[in-house]
Amino acid sequence: MEITICIGSSCHLKGAREIVSKLEKIIEKCELSNQIHLKGAFCMGKCSVEGVSVKVEDELFYLKPENVEQFFQDEILRRL
Amino acid sequence: MLTKDATIVEVKHEVLYHVAQHAYAGDLEEKREQIPYDIIPGPQANFRCCIYKEREIVRQRIRVAEGRSPIQDKENRNIVQVVESACEGCPINRYVVTDNCQRCMSRKCQQACKFNAISMQKDKAVIDTQLCKECGKCYQACPYNAIADLMRPCKRSCPVDAIKMDENKVVVVDEEKCIHCGQCIKNCPFGAIMDRSFMVSVINLINEGLPVYAMIAPAGEGQFGNFSMADLRDAVKQLGFADMYEVALAADMVADSEAREWLEAYGEGKKMTTSCCPAFVTMIDKHFPQLKEHVSTTVSPMAAMARYIRAKHPGAITVFIGPCIAKKHEVLESLTQENADYALTYEELDAMLRARNVTLQSSDAVLQQGSIYGKKFSASGGVTAAVVKTFQEMNVSADVNVAQCNGAAECKKALLMMKVGKLPEDFIEGMVCEGGCVNGPGSIKPEMQSRKDRLALFSKADNRGILENIAPHYDSIKISLHRK
Repeated sequence: MEITICIGSSCHLKGAREIVSKLEKIIEKCELSNQIHLKGAFCMGKCSVEGVSVKVEDELFYLKPENVEQFFQDEILRRL
Repeated sequence: MLTKDATIVEVKHEVLYHVAQHAYAGDLEEKREQIPYDIIPGPQANFRCCIYKEREIVRQRIRVAEGRSPIQDKENRNIVQVVESACEGCPINRYVVTDNCQRCMSRKCQQACKFNAISMQKDKAVIDTQLCKECGKCYQACPYNAIADLMRPCKRSCPVDAIKMDENKVVVVDEEKCIHCGQCIKNCPFGAIMDRSFMVSVINLINEGLPVYAMIAPAGEGQFGNFSMADLRDAVKQLGFADMYEVALAADMVADSEAREWLEAYGEGKKMTTSCCPAFVTMIDKHFPQLKEHVSTTVSPMAAMARYIRAKHPGAITVFIGPCIAKKHEVLESLTQENADYALTYEELDAMLRARNVTLQSSDAVLQQGSIYGKKFSASGGVTAAVVKTFQEMNVSADVNVAQCNGAAECKKALLMMKVGKLPEDFIEGMVCEGGCVNGPGSIKPEMQSRKDRLALFSKADNRGILENIAPHYDSIKISLHRK
């Protein structure tokens, strides 16, 4: 499964890199590196105050660094 | 305003320039709709049927310059984007009999065709497009060279057969096959294929006052004329970058790391390939996946440089600037590899310089961070030369045999040989652009025009060794040069 994280400037400022490293750590901890791949994306044009644009299987989410764990539990694990 | 003799390069540049200007001014959002009118004021059309089409093309180009797909709601993730309104839908009947046909008696074309596609009409031979299989035998057989091969320039230039056409003959790039080499971008005579840009993101972050660092690829010398790296650093800092580093320094680090890896592989009898050229690495990923384990685990000079800068300046935002389009894909793909945050082309840097009214000034200042071997990574054969030089400096005698693949065709051939276990050489140095990075599609000038200046600048570099050059940096900063 691919998780695509927007790295445009607006998302960068909202913590895109922090989200990447948090996700990376969780994926490593759960030993799911072979199943989940993190990819970057150009500005998705969906810039929002709600957070960084993240796409999973074409579904768009807005993530804040502090919500990464919850997002992983709710949206990623159930899709595996 | 565009002049009648404006070339494709100028049209694309004009859009990048306007976008950069408004991004710096912070009014891109309000002025986006104004740009097509500034570039195409009318009332006369310059190249296309009318100003309305020209403005629509500019609108689509602006979207690509902002990093998006040309048409809203038709988004895809590829770096290489087709500006649909600019694609002229060139003829797709590949072989066409021209007026040079003499209706000769030998009818070699007809004899050569195995599919009975050629008939002799009143004036000349005619190819039935329903029957033609595009084998090219008639084209080879005609004694008058009367049969033209009209393969679309984009399709002809693509080394991995990623160019298709839709029902309206408009180009479609097959994302599954594309290696982002940018050859189609360079070769489309209508400039209908473009690469997405991170330029606006980079400018926005500069405007935010964040520490954005530029990393200039070795092919940069000569691209801006006879200006030294010190002159370039001066100009780049005027754009708002915190500082500029020469990626040739990281190339030296990579040469050292590759040399150690090669020695190990050589000892084990394992064949290996280089990993610097991202289009070459993607070619392996997508078209020769069984060879993935042969790719050197040393990161590219871009990634090495980004890691070095982050170690030295915590919180730095790292921006690679080079002649390469595939580097943008490398950035997206290696999100977890501590690679560069963004990648720009020289074309984009040039637009930023123009937008900020920065002109390069000659000075006596000297800036040399890479050895001459690191600098020469940018030309075909350069990586091998640097690794061999490192062996010498290590006092190791290794008689390694390297297939130096210059251009996509040679890369493909060597990889094919490796796949079937018949590669005579021990290593492959793969560079997808012919001549190396110096001929990259994101260059401002083709190699022919920049070579003189590049060689003149190279001749001023001192003759420091590779290990000698990197030692002080390694003493102060510990970074890994391998993929995670």
